[in-house]
Amino acid sequence: MTAAPSPVRTPAWPLSRSAIGLWVTEGVISSVLLGIAAILLAVFVPSEAPAPFPLLRWLVPTAAVAYAVLAIGVRPWVRYRVHRWEVTGDAVYTLTGWLTRTWTLVPIARIQTVDVTRGVLQQLFGLASVAVLTASSQGTVRVPHLEVDVAHRFADDLAHRAEQVRDQAT
Amino acid sequence: MSLLPEAAHRRTSPLIVGVHTVTFRQARQFVPILLPIGAAAGFDGGTTAVVLLVVGITLLSLVTAGLTWWRFSYADGPSAVVVTQGLLARSVRTVPNDRIRGVEIEAPALHRLLGLVRVRVDAAAGAVAGAEEELVIDGVSRAEGDRLRIAVLTHRSAPPPADGAAAAPVEEEFARFDNRWLLYAPLVGTYLAVPLAAVGALFRLADELPARFQPDLDGTDLFDGRLLWGAGAAALVLLVLGSVVGAAVVNWGFSLVRRGGSLIAVRGLITRRHTELEIDRIRGCTVAEGAGMRLAGATRVSALVTGLGDAARRGQLLPLGPRAQAWTLARRLVADPGPLLPHPPAARRRRVMRAVSGSLAVTAAGLVATALAGWWELLVAGVVLTVLGVPLGLARYASLGHAVGPDSFAVRSGWLVREEAVLQRRAVVGWRVRQSFFQRRAGLATVVACVGAGNGGYAALDLAADEVPAFAVAASGPWAATLSRPAR
Repeated sequence: MTAAPSPVRTPAWPLSRSAIGLWVTEGVISSVLLGIAAILLAVFVPSEAPAPFPLLRWLVPTAAVAYAVLAIGVRPWVRYRVHRWEVTGDAVYTLTGWLTRTWTLVPIARIQTVDVTRGVLQQLFGLASVAVLTASSQGTVRVPHLEVDVAHRFADDLAHRAEQVRDQAT
Repeated sequence: MSLLPEAAHRRTSPLIVGVHTVTFRQARQFVPILLPIGAAAGFDGGTTAVVLLVVGITLLSLVTAGLTWWRFSYADGPSAVVVTQGLLARSVRTVPNDRIRGVEIEAPALHRLLGLVRVRVDAAAGAVAGAEEELVIDGVSRAEGDRLRIAVLTHRSAPPPADGAAAAPVEEEFARFDNRWLLYAPLVGTYLAVPLAAVGALFRLADELPARFQPDLDGTDLFDGRLLWGAGAAALVLLVLGSVVGAAVVNWGFSLVRRGGSLIAVRGLITRRHTELEIDRIRGCTVAEGAGMRLAGATRVSALVTGLGDAARRGQLLPLGPRAQAWTLARRLVADPGPLLPHPPAARRRRVMRAVSGSLAVTAAGLVATALAGWWELLVAGVVLTVLGVPLGLARYASLGHAVGPDSFAVRSGWLVREEAVLQRRAVVGWRVRQSFFQRRAGLATVVACVGAGNGGYAALDLAADEVPAFAVAASGPWAATLSRPAR
């Protein structure tokens, strides 16, 4: 059965390109940790161990290499492509997810708080995340990895506009 | 009392010291300290030691209850409620009146004997979760409790209206519990759990009885057929009776009254509870029917109220009742969005596929097991489960539905508990559209209306993908048009 590729409109704006660098760094860090674990396994498991271990000695390093290729070479670009966001005249709108896609739309009139956070890696890459919270636990919009000045401008603008058009907000 | 200035600190009734002594309310926190001390000293001193221990604990309880009473005071000023308490570390909690979301008055059995009530002020602090959100003023007289409730709630509403209207607010009865409805209780899972829990407690007690008090059962043949049938029948009767009694204890004399701008629910046989909800904060209703309840046409109605702590219990508008009454009540609070529309046929295929996919995997594993090891049992189980999954999937599809009216909309889903949420348009604080890989291939999408009440979001499962933007715009407002494709 062929259907329209997407039920709703795709938000207009991509994240910052620096996000790719950050995701690659994250992939490198987790791959290194996994590699150390695989090496430890290979060193400390005796070669004449019983049945499943000889197999594991090959399986674990192979899996670690495959993970490293995916996490460093593929995942950052996929993530960059699937995250989109947009602020329109009266709403904030995001799209996330690759296999299962999720679009979230929150009207500016119902915004309760806008948070800007910067993790350690994000500070290295000059990035910041913005979370837009409403009265509903499920109605939270998160935009990861925007350039710091974009994020701050975005947050200030939202907070300012929310104050002007706010109704009961719940 | 009434001549004192308004913000004067008031005390709770001294009678509460008696109640708290008997229930060990404050002394309970010493149990973790006392137990090791007792264990170290040894309990083997005979009867005298036990009596001394009991007297000592009671005295300790009396002292702590007395001190707590002595150090506790509260004041309801024109702008805030202040509660001062604490033995050594004093704590003063001030809750501004405009942050108060509701007042609940409850009267447990002992309190009722002495004419006392416990007042809970729901403070909706937001940041702190759980019990911290409310102020508890335990042990004031019934009249003082009512005065406090009215005082707090009238201070909160902006300028009080002309005295005539304020003196006699209009009362209107929304629902009254008919005791015949208790007969629905054995069909409701939560009430069935009550006697089961009691039986569990009995077994533990029987286990801890000394051996000489336990009946000698070894001689009789426990697996005698008649005995087994008799025990089964007796257990069934007990289960049914227990659930009815459990429902009666919680819901006895339930009534829902509208007084001015709030709904007041009163309920309970032993502990009377008096809950007040503001109509202006109600964003919708859920009408839930369990699989067993549907057989008898019984339903449960809850209100979705913004900023309500402990909403599952406090939001109940009709704990148990026939469908017709339930819907009349729901319609009085939220406009009728019209009849539910079915979801597209692809949704039916998806429900059936999801219901059988697990058992198909079991069947496949069973095929492998039969081929390799000759274990045919797994294969049979897989086939039976698959066959049973088809009607389950169809039933789950049958309960899907959505409707949009001019002022409200409704979504329904669920088979074990079929829940229909009827929400006002203003309830929506956001939309979340989700589409999995399989939904994309089938042209479906799940739309969640994010709501600042109830469990935070209500989903329309498997809507036709191209209907999504129109549904969102119709059910909330023009801001949702961001979802639709720009006109070209």
